Amino acid sequence: MLVRRCVAGDAAAWEEIVQTYNRRIYNICYRFAGSADDAQDLTQEVFIKMFRTLASYDHTKGAFVTWVTTITRNLLVDHFRKTKQDRMTDSIDAPVSAQEDAQPLSEQIQDQSAPPDAHVRSREVGETVHAALARLSPELREALILRDLQDFDYREIATVLKVPEGTVKSRINRGRAELARLLQRTYRQVM
Amino acid sequence: MPDHTSNGMQCHEFDSLLADAIDGILSGTQLEAFQAHARTCSACGPLLAEAEAGRNWLKELTEVEPPASLVTNILASTTGVDSQRLRVNVAAPPPQVSWLERVQAWISEGMQPVWATIRQPRFAMSFGMAFFSLSVALSMLGVKPADLRQISLRPAAIRHAYYNTEARVVRYYDNIRLVYQVQAAASRLKRNVTPAEPAPAKQKDHKNDTTEQPDQKQERNYSRTEDRLILACAPLGPSGSDLPVVSVTTYRRLV
Repeated sequence: MLVRRCVAGDAAAWEEIVQTYNRRIYNICYRFAGSADDAQDLTQEVFIKMFRTLASYDHTKGAFVTWVTTITRNLLVDHFRKTKQDRMTDSIDAPVSAQEDAQPLSEQIQDQSAPPDAHVRSREVGETVHAALARLSPELREALILRDLQDFDYREIATVLKVPEGTVKSRINRGRAELARLLQRTYRQVM
Repeated sequence: MPDHTSNGMQCHEFDSLLADAIDGILSGTQLEAFQAHARTCSACGPLLAEAEAGRNWLKELTEVEPPASLVTNILASTTGVDSQRLRVNVAAPPPQVSWLERVQAWISEGMQPVWATIRQPRFAMSFGMAFFSLSVALSMLGVKPADLRQISLRPAAIRHAYYNTEARVVRYYDNIRLVYQVQAAASRLKRNVTPAEPAPAKQKDHKNDTTEQPDQKQERNYSRTEDRLILACAPLGPSGSDLPVVSVTTYRRLV
């Protein structure tokens, strides 16, 4: 087993783990934190934490990917709590027009008047959805990321988030609906 | 969400089935009841539409590519080695290390703190000066580095060199002793051959004497009366003419 080899000191096994999971963890961090720089730092922190606690993984308690995702999620929540104070300070210092309600998402994306081709349009839609996702509460955001972007099943998400499956489903429903409302408002203003 | 019953299903039941319905895993009567409730309930109908729309929006998000340096940075921050080197190490078998190399590595590892201390400027200057002094001393003694190469380190040769050196030192010492003996004999001979010089005149020439000091200070224990010497401890008679006359003859030895 890869983890056992890694715990025994096999550097090649650890590299294989990094190669296998770095993409998944980076994407979770990127969608949750919102910026590529933060995602890179957080991914690195996740692997450092994983490297230190690898011996504590018990395969009888769940799949390795669930364990990895739990570490990632816990670290993201810690990061969110740490940066929450900074964001509150920033929002107080920022001008009124920059606050959430004052600046719709349509103003954050590029000019819509230019005739975009399919690729550019897809990229713009992706950026819009990414920005809308960042405006959801962390509880709804993490549930949507795990379900709709990482394809975890409800039981795995419940394990990662440490909440009942019913709560997971409820958060996913509310998250999807909230996201749709945000994007509907955005595109209505653009049109 | 207002909880009311519509088509045999309550809103909280609808909410719990919503995720499964969007995933497409509801079937049969459960699906029919769900759809009927969505059609008639003013709160749950829009919720279903929004949830479906939200899920469709999320499908627009594609996976992003991590930076190329991410894996390298992770490996460097965890195991301390970069990926390329690790790959080389995995591919290549571990090199055979001889016991001599292991000992050398162990010594160099042990000597590292000592070497770091020695490399400090003050120690380096001291060692430089010591080396300079040694080289100057060796050059003055006539020792050449080229001669050192010819030294044989065989036990017999070392023993031979030791006895040779010892004999040279003894000969040198004996030669020095001979010189002193010859010098001493020559000085003895000179003393015996040279005749004794006459005693120096008592009356010094006072013309050139500017010291104004008395002439014979060493004769303090004697009192002088005219030209005769009187012993200081001798008992005086009733008249000064009874004093014994002491004549002193001085023999000076010329060295």
